Amino acid sequence: MRGLRRYAPPLIWLLVLVLTAVYLSRLEPLFAWLEPDRQTVVYPRQSFVALLLQHAAIVAVAAALAIALGVGAAIGVTRRAGEEFLPLVSQLASIGQTFPPVAVLALSVPALGYGAEAVVVALVLYGLLPIVRNTLAGLQAVDRGVLESARGIGLSPWQTLLWVELPIAAPAIMGGIRTSVTINIATAAIGSTIGANTLGNPIISGIVNGNMAFTLQGAVLIGLMAVTVDSAFSRIA
Amino acid sequence: MRPDAGTPMIELDNVSKSFGDAVAVDGISLNVPAGSLCVLVGTSGCGKSTTLRMINRLIEHTGGEIRIDGHQIRRFNEVTLRRRIGYAIQNTGLFPHWTVARNIGVVPRLLKWDKARTRERVESLMALLGLDVEAFAGKYPHQLSGGQAQRVGVARALAADPDILLMDEPFGALDPITRSSLQAELLRIQSRIRKTIVFVTHDMDEALRLADQIVVMQAGRIIQQGTPSEILAHPSDDFVETLVGGRDRGLKRASLTPVGEMMESLPDDGRVPAVHVLQTDSMRLAVSLMLWHGVSQLAVVDDTGETVGMLPLRRLVDDFGE
Ligand SMILES: Nc1ncnc2c1ncn2[C@@H]1O[C@H](COP(=O)(O)OP(=O)(O)OP(=O)(O)O)[C@@H](O)[C@H]1O
Ligand SMILES: [Mg+2]
Repeated sequence: MRGLRRYAPPLIWLLVLVLTAVYLSRLEPLFAWLEPDRQTVVYPRQSFVALLLQHAAIVAVAAALAIALGVGAAIGVTRRAGEEFLPLVSQLASIGQTFPPVAVLALSVPALGYGAEAVVVALVLYGLLPIVRNTLAGLQAVDRGVLESARGIGLSPWQTLLWVELPIAAPAIMGGIRTSVTINIATAAIGSTIGANTLGNPIISGIVNGNMAFTLQGAVLIGLMAVTVDSAFSRIA
Repeated sequence: MRPDAGTPMIELDNVSKSFGDAVAVDGISLNVPAGSLCVLVGTSGCGKSTTLRMINRLIEHTGGEIRIDGHQIRRFNEVTLRRRIGYAIQNTGLFPHWTVARNIGVVPRLLKWDKARTRERVESLMALLGLDVEAFAGKYPHQLSGGQAQRVGVARALAADPDILLMDEPFGALDPITRSSLQAELLRIQSRIRKTIVFVTHDMDEALRLADQIVVMQAGRIIQQGTPSEILAHPSDDFVETLVGGRDRGLKRASLTPVGEMMESLPDDGRVPAVHVLQTDSMRLAVSLMLWHGVSQLAVVDDTGETVGMLPLRRLVDDFGE
């Protein structure tokens, strides 16, 4: 019962998101009122459910890669063997964040061509930054006395990492993952401009054709998705 | 693996450690007999912690040889070595995300003891250190007072019943009263378990109270070693003399001498002084009682309350001094 209570908010948001995706087209009269001069007021090319699933898949793949790479890199540079890369990596992580996401996308197209792969790569690069930064901060904040006693009583380096450092740093790491995923849910929409199918499709199409209704439909679904994911993170972190 | 009493459990043979050009420990030699408590004392930065941490290879020595139980420590796998040596430090280093019971049980867990045995061990150690199992087993380190946390730290160091215990200023962060009670507790525990202990402190009073053997260090070298009363009686130079309290030495020495060693037999007329002191109390306490009550002699009693002798003020003047 307590478990259900705890996870109720994200589950409710998820339900709202799915119902909206499924039934958004039924709100045609509302959109017709918004754009009275248009024949088509509901984005016609793909179903919202299909776009939502593709959008989610791109974000999920990018998040999985960013977590593996970001947490891995931060662990690597805080070990003795990788310590010379620590200044470089931590600087990249803080400078990189000031880079606009569109620029990252624009850079990945020449490398990978149009399509979902280029979007995933851009999202991974962009999503790495908060994860690396937070994981570094979390690991570096572990008390030196705790580390010394961990070694001193005979934990191996692996055991120290898995039993002590990562659990203590976990809240910081989760915070970084949360920021990363939330940003990338929004950023993935821009992927539509380079040929990936995402919830950005109706937004871009709405902007290009001057059709507010399309833009609103994409924006509402992206907003709901971001809220759902953020709410889920607030329960587990 | 415990050798006969008297054989050194830990031997340092001309051991040095340099960090780059800086020499932190400079050719020290030291034997710690099995079952004895050796205190390294000296001012900040003199190399005490470095010496201690070379024994469990948290720091690798750069010169000389360290042997445990006759074997060079370089021959052991460092992780295996450390699991056989208890280690307790000033700010406890308890794992903040684990309960007290789990913290204490960590080394048994590393050594793959079964759950029941670990649990039993944790509970008996908590009892040994005066920590109520019901009240504390499930608490987290941030819920403990400094003294309680330090007890847990010592329990953790003892968990796998190591022969050797290394302690780096374990009571350094505690208030004087808590520190004193933990010192008493350590002595009580040590009299039962007889570990080979190397204890670091910069507090000479703590050293005098705890040590079987005191090692005074300065700038990476040993400048004097001996029993507390040897160090008190014959400080090798001005530095050691200052450390042992200069003109306060008389009282320090009195606090190390039990009344039983100085008492005389009762006078023939059978008159017993009104104020009494325990045979096992210190001479310092005896002096304090004389000053307080304004008397020049005390009755000495044993722990059953039986009068076994007397202590006149004259004894202090005639035989106690140099
Ligand atoms: N990792 C290190 N790198 C370089 N120098 C070090 C290192 N560890 C210790 N030292 C130096 O070695 C010397 C001895 O240090 P150590 O920690 O053994 O002193 P200490 O006697 O324990 O002092 P304190 O009472 O302040 O703890 C100091 O001068 C210190 O600066
Ligand atoms: Mg020290």
